[in-house]
Amino acid sequence: MVRFMRAPARGASRAELRKLADEELVQLVAASDADAFEVVFERHVDAAFALAYRMCGRASVAEDVTQEAFLALWRGARRYDRTRGSVRTWALGIVHNRAVDALRRSSVHDRRRAHEEGAEEALEAPERTDVQAIGNAASAELRSALEQLPLEQRRVIELAYFGGFTHVEIASMLDTPVGTVKGRMRLGLQKLRGQLHRWEAVGG
Amino acid sequence: MSSFETDGDCGERANAAAYALGALEDRDAFREHLLSCRGCRAEVAELQLAVDALAGTVTPASAPESLRRKVLDAVRSEADLLHAAGRKADRAPRARRAPARWRLLTAASAALAAGAAALIVLAVRSGSSNAVRVTAAQIAASERGAHGALRVTGGRAELVLGGMRQAPRGQIYEVWVSRGNGSAPAATDALFGVTRAGAASVAVPGSLHGIKEVLVTHEPLGGSLHPTSAPIVRVVL
Repeated sequence: MVRFMRAPARGASRAELRKLADEELVQLVAASDADAFEVVFERHVDAAFALAYRMCGRASVAEDVTQEAFLALWRGARRYDRTRGSVRTWALGIVHNRAVDALRRSSVHDRRRAHEEGAEEALEAPERTDVQAIGNAASAELRSALEQLPLEQRRVIELAYFGGFTHVEIASMLDTPVGTVKGRMRLGLQKLRGQLHRWEAVGG
Repeated sequence: MSSFETDGDCGERANAAAYALGALEDRDAFREHLLSCRGCRAEVAELQLAVDALAGTVTPASAPESLRRKVLDAVRSEADLLHAAGRKADRAPRARRAPARWRLLTAASAALAAGAAALIVLAVRSGSSNAVRVTAAQIAASERGAHGALRVTGGRAELVLGGMRQAPRGQIYEVWVSRGNGSAPAATDALFGVTRAGAASVAVPGSLHGIKEVLVTHEPLGGSLHPTSAPIVRVVL
């Protein structure tokens, strides 16, 4: 693993930190422990950047969004509530919110173009590495669950989640009643949720 | 058949999916509704799990090195600053009395200077391509125990605060910038609250060029165009 920071004085504690679970590390981050932050950061930065890149469609914007999100995590670690999900879910949630903010600062037209380009580029990943092979298996399964949704349901979910469009904007883009858009979102998410249930059952 | 229909009667249920996706336009009204509807809360919680999983469907990518370096540099320098500020705060002189009530920002400046820890630190981190300038904030005596600093990197400024009290009910913190020479502070769209622990970090919008002071006041929700209260935090550049 490549190191960018000077080796810390407490090298031994570094190794110890790497053995800790995210939830424990976040408690140290809340006490302004920069070493603990670095461990959390390294565990999740690739997934965070990938999400921001998929949403924003441009590496430079994705980089800014990911940076903002991790600095928010560093400064707001006390807000982490483990009853509401894993550290990764929390971190990606912050990235998602920041990316939506960035998207909503641009016009609907520009966002639509970015969304379509992002969807295309998603097919050919930037800078794939072997390290990600492990993550690929899980994400491939999730992706196929999403791909199996009826196109109309998948489309509204992707426009909302990855495109940052509101339900009213989506209704107008697709020339579809607002109620129909909400209904498709609900059906699609229920199906995805059902799929997750089945995996949980298999895994457990 | 599904576990989602815990309460089929609620007319708001159709909004739960759009809400979980962050796409519902009237978000606040639905959030209010959630307080009183267990069925909708359960549906949002269920669907949220599906929404969270969406993040895992993206094609993997490697974060660029420049991103790693920027984030870790920023965190290291803030950790250094926080540790240093913590030690200084311990030695800060106590304010003798809180001013009764400030009406004008200009009138408040003397009181602020007399408040806790009026201290200017200029720290330039060498060896890094981005010089980081950190200026400690002056804190009004009414916010005793709070501390903060303005961190400027490459023309972008960020206010980092700790030990702050929650803004009074129905109010929010607002950031102002002043060009000095008695000119009125200009409103920014940086409105913020503080964490339960009293921490906040907020980007100061726009360029700092020509800006002499960065200020924070309490304002009604939604912010104000002109300050309606005395500054709580002041950073003199």
